[in-house]
Amino acid sequence: MKSLRGAFLAIIALVVLCSAASAEERLKMSTTTSTQDSGLLRVLLPPFEKENNVKVDVIAVGTGQALKIGEAGDVDVVFVHARKLEDKFVANGFGVNRRDVMYNDFVIIGPKSDPAGIARAKTAAEALRMIAAKGATFISRGDKSGTHVKEKELWQAAGIQPKGSWYIEAGQGMGPVITMATERQAYTLADRGTYNAYKGTKTDLVINFQGEKGLFNAYGVIAVNPKKFPHVKYDLAMKFIDFVTGPAGQKIIAGYKAHGEPVFFIYKK
Amino acid sequence: MNELYHLESIRKCYGERTVLAIDDLALAAGKLYTLTGANGSGKTTLLTLLAFLAPPSSGELRYGGKPVRWTNAALLSLRRQVTLLHQSPYLFNGSVFANIAFGLKMRGIRGEERRRRVERSLEQVGLPGFGHRRARELSGGESQRVAMARALVLEPKVLLLDEPLANVDRATCEHLEQVIVSLPGNGTTVIMTTHDPEQPHRLGGKQIRLVTGKLA
Amino acid sequence: MGFLSDTFSTALDLIASFDPDVVNAVSTSLGVALWSILFATLAGVPAGVVVGVTEFPGKRAVITLLNTLMALPTVVVGLAVYGIISRQGPLGELGLLFTPKAMVIGQTILAIPIVANYTLGTVKGADPRIVPTALTLGAGPLQSIRQLVQELRFGIMAAVIAGFGRVVAEVGVAMMLGGNIRGYTRTMTTAIAMETGKGEFALGLALGLILMGVALLVNLFLNILQQR
Ligand SMILES: Nc1ncnc2c1ncn2[C@@H]1O[C@H](COP(=O)(O)OP(=O)(O)OP(=O)(O)O)[C@@H](O)[C@H]1O
Ligand SMILES: [Mg+2]
Repeated sequence: MKSLRGAFLAIIALVVLCSAASAEERLKMSTTTSTQDSGLLRVLLPPFEKENNVKVDVIAVGTGQALKIGEAGDVDVVFVHARKLEDKFVANGFGVNRRDVMYNDFVIIGPKSDPAGIARAKTAAEALRMIAAKGATFISRGDKSGTHVKEKELWQAAGIQPKGSWYIEAGQGMGPVITMATERQAYTLADRGTYNAYKGTKTDLVINFQGEKGLFNAYGVIAVNPKKFPHVKYDLAMKFIDFVTGPAGQKIIAGYKAHGEPVFFIYKK
Repeated sequence: MNELYHLESIRKCYGERTVLAIDDLALAAGKLYTLTGANGSGKTTLLTLLAFLAPPSSGELRYGGKPVRWTNAALLSLRRQVTLLHQSPYLFNGSVFANIAFGLKMRGIRGEERRRRVERSLEQVGLPGFGHRRARELSGGESQRVAMARALVLEPKVLLLDEPLANVDRATCEHLEQVIVSLPGNGTTVIMTTHDPEQPHRLGGKQIRLVTGKLA
Repeated sequence: MGFLSDTFSTALDLIASFDPDVVNAVSTSLGVALWSILFATLAGVPAGVVVGVTEFPGKRAVITLLNTLMALPTVVVGLAVYGIISRQGPLGELGLLFTPKAMVIGQTILAIPIVANYTLGTVKGADPRIVPTALTLGAGPLQSIRQLVQELRFGIMAAVIAGFGRVVAEVGVAMMLGGNIRGYTRTMTTAIAMETGKGEFALGLALGLILMGVALLVNLFLNILQQR
């Protein structure tokens, strides 16, 4: 019995030690993968956490799922990029105080050789038509993320229902999809922020198409509605929103660079 | 006769087979009994019953004049008066001391008294100073004798011994026979099985013979 | 070749320098798994012992159920617990989703059948003389079962360690219920699953090496215990 009891006590002691570290307040945020994968949150969150003695728990998933988690009241704030879905989220009473935070744009990346020749395309829709016509491999996020939503809009504009062995629905975040596209030497739609963070070291894909108005990518932050979910930390969520949209947060966002290039842009006031 | 056990129309069956069928048997307190019979004749089955470890399939067992009630609460106090030394005893994984002290611990006997009694019982079986040995590292005969000490240390009212001397060397056997014979003098009832045809005569006492589960 | 050996040496550097991401993932993994196995032991060992030593109608059904539960897919447990502890679920008020506590709940559920089953197996294979010996030496029913557990301690410890091995290596529950939050609910397995996809290959490899070390230790323990 002694050795059994000893082992037990040892386990309890270890467990208590392991869990003694967590005591401060926590703010739960669901967000799109690109804010995390681009590395922005690593520089944006610590000053806020320090100032308010709070830990921000980041659940990085696709925008669609991030909003779903918000609709269930499982987080306090959402930080996403799909304007139409965001407006619906607010209109349905799940969120309040939506604010613009920053923007960048989407780019179509692919192999340097550009097998479908999309560099010559006039519009993003035309670029996609060329990829489909050539049957060049295209990897779709396939995860209801903001990027995925945008991609579907573009296919619709192109008048194409993408199907076939060349069209791969990954069901993963931005980072993994870029990795996958690199491995398969395929095209994909990426937000510039994450692509910049991956460029050079983690991917050899290049931007084949960019610069169209339709590829604008805006990020918004929304507090989960405390009237609907009384348990949410609304005050803390508002503090966070004020921070990221305020001077301190905006300065960090504007100053954040990956491989020497800015990743996100702030709106001129 | 000071009657301790009384068996009436006792039957023990395993499935269809009746392995023990005793119509009437009385056992007196403070006496020595030897129990003999061929392999499979029901000796162990009978001792298990007398140790209150397994109920009969039918019939009545009386102990101290009262019918035995096979409920946990009633059995605990009965079992504390009786102990059975198994034919091939199981020693707990641990020291010899811990094994012998187990029954004393269950009875709330501790400290100096426990230590003294354990040591005395080890001397009784001719293994003085064996307390610190690991039970699993003993020889067959030593194990048997430790198990014997574990039973003796309890100074029970009834001692049921299932072939206690089977693996024991000649000299120790004679010594232990002396110990066993001396027990009824202190009021202990001893019931012991054996396959040694001479042993019942050497030990004296009453002989019970079983033939295919029945008294012969 | 260069890529692999570079990653490998980066991974070793991460381990040797106690990189905070590595340390956090390792301590979260071990902490959550240890809590889970603690609760699973408290529930699973008694359950296994009781089913093992008692006879009751429907015992076979219970054993079959335990066997089935042992193969419970982690994502199914994740899904079920998610539904229960999400704000919209019956236990939503507790706010457990995306916390280590949620992972502990899921992993405890995963580990209980394993601990119970292995305990049951040990009890069924136990020497049939143990309980009668304790009883005839004056133990009560509970004391005799305590003695049985004591005699089977190595087998039961092996059951506990097997459960630990399962939860420390699982990814479904940790991902779905923990949310892979950096420095909070990110475990070795969720980090490997997610971060490798993001190109953090060295981090994944470092954690993979440590996880393999843990698995090796667990199996070493199991081996030693099974030999006793
Ligand atoms: N658990 C059991 N299930 C079925 N049959 C049993 C069981 N235990 C004992 N028996 C049978 O009961 C009969 C009597 O067994 P018991 O152990 O009492 O014999 P014994 O007189 O002690 O024999 P031995 O001299 O070999 O020790 C044997 O035929 C045995 O096969
Ligand atoms: Mg026998």
